[in-house]
Order: sequence, then structure tokens, then C-alpha cells
Amino acid sequence: MDEKQIALENIKQTVTANPVVLYMKGTPQFPQCGFSGRAAQVLKSCGVTKYVAVNVLEDQGAYDYLKFYADFPTFPQCYINGELIGGSDIMLGMYEQGELQKLIKHATAPQ
Amino acid sequence: MKVTPENVRDFILQGLACEHIQVDGDGRHFEAVIVSSEFEGKGMLQRHKRVYQVLGDRMEKIHALSMKTLTPEQWAGNQ
Repeated sequence: MDEKQIALENIKQTVTANPVVLYMKGTPQFPQCGFSGRAAQVLKSCGVTKYVAVNVLEDQGAYDYLKFYADFPTFPQCYINGELIGGSDIMLGMYEQGELQKLIKHATAPQ
Repeated sequence: MKVTPENVRDFILQGLACEHIQVDGDGRHFEAVIVSSEFEGKGMLQRHKRVYQVLGDRMEKIHALSMKTLTPEQWAGNQ
């Protein structure tokens, strides 16, 4: 496997093994970009306490190749149950309509 | 070369017929309101993907783009 395939495989593993994943610049506590900070804030507002945040500034594979995974060229990107939800605009829009909370609640409900 | 809001506006218009488009920004962060009948029947993710598809490699130069993607009907309701 080449670098790109390895990176895409890692992304696939991460987003399918965890109900909620946020790829962002920086961390939820110390976001390095306004949009990433906003995305983390939206998840917080949804009441998600446990989710996987991947700092793309420390993950070269994700930084270089995430855009190919779901054909979406910008950070942040939020995945729920392996599906791309979108970036911070979409997250905020869905949150305001009450849709994101529902999706997350469903995804993180005990089996 | 620094990208201007007018550049972003023109890039989008080259590939997407818009009823209305407004782009503001400082050369690094842009905010766009894009109204197109092409968005009808599409979810937000598909609408954003459509705009990114039109922008293609030029997204490399556009650091961040915040978008409101509306159908003409939604736009009329927003006024």
C-alpha cells in the first residue's frame, strides 16, 4: 500500500470504529482555526461528552488525504457512524434545526 | 497571488448558475451566500460538495469558505 492508501485505510478505521469523529485543526480545548473551534463548540452544545477528535496538524496522513476520503476539501469534518456530516457550516445548520442532536443521540445510544 | 472575494464569486459563477451570489472575505477567510435552483432537492452536504466541485483545485488558495447555500425559494423566504 502506498502512503495515500494507508492514510485512507486509517481514516476508514477511525470513522467506522467510533460513533462520532471530528477531524479538526488543533484540539477541542485549543482549536487552531475558527471553523474547527466552532465545530467542537457545536458538538459540545449537542451534549456529546465522548467523541474522537483527530488533530490533523499532528496527523500528516489525515492532513494530506482526508479530502479524498469523502470528496470534501476542507477542515473540519464531522463523521457520525462512518458517514460524513459536513463541515462547521453544515454542523451548525443541522444543530439549529435540531437534526444533529438527534443523529448523535441515535449514534451514541447504548445498544 | 491573493484571492479576492470577487475572484471567488467569479470562480463559482463559472461553474454554477446562481440566482444570487454574494461573497465577502479578507483573502483568507470567505463567506458566501449562494442561491441556485440547482440546490433544489439536495441536502446541505451535497450543496457544499457541488460548490467545492466547481472551485476544484482553487480551494488550495482559498483557506476557508463559509457557505450559506439556498434555493431561490429559501432565499425568498429569507428576505
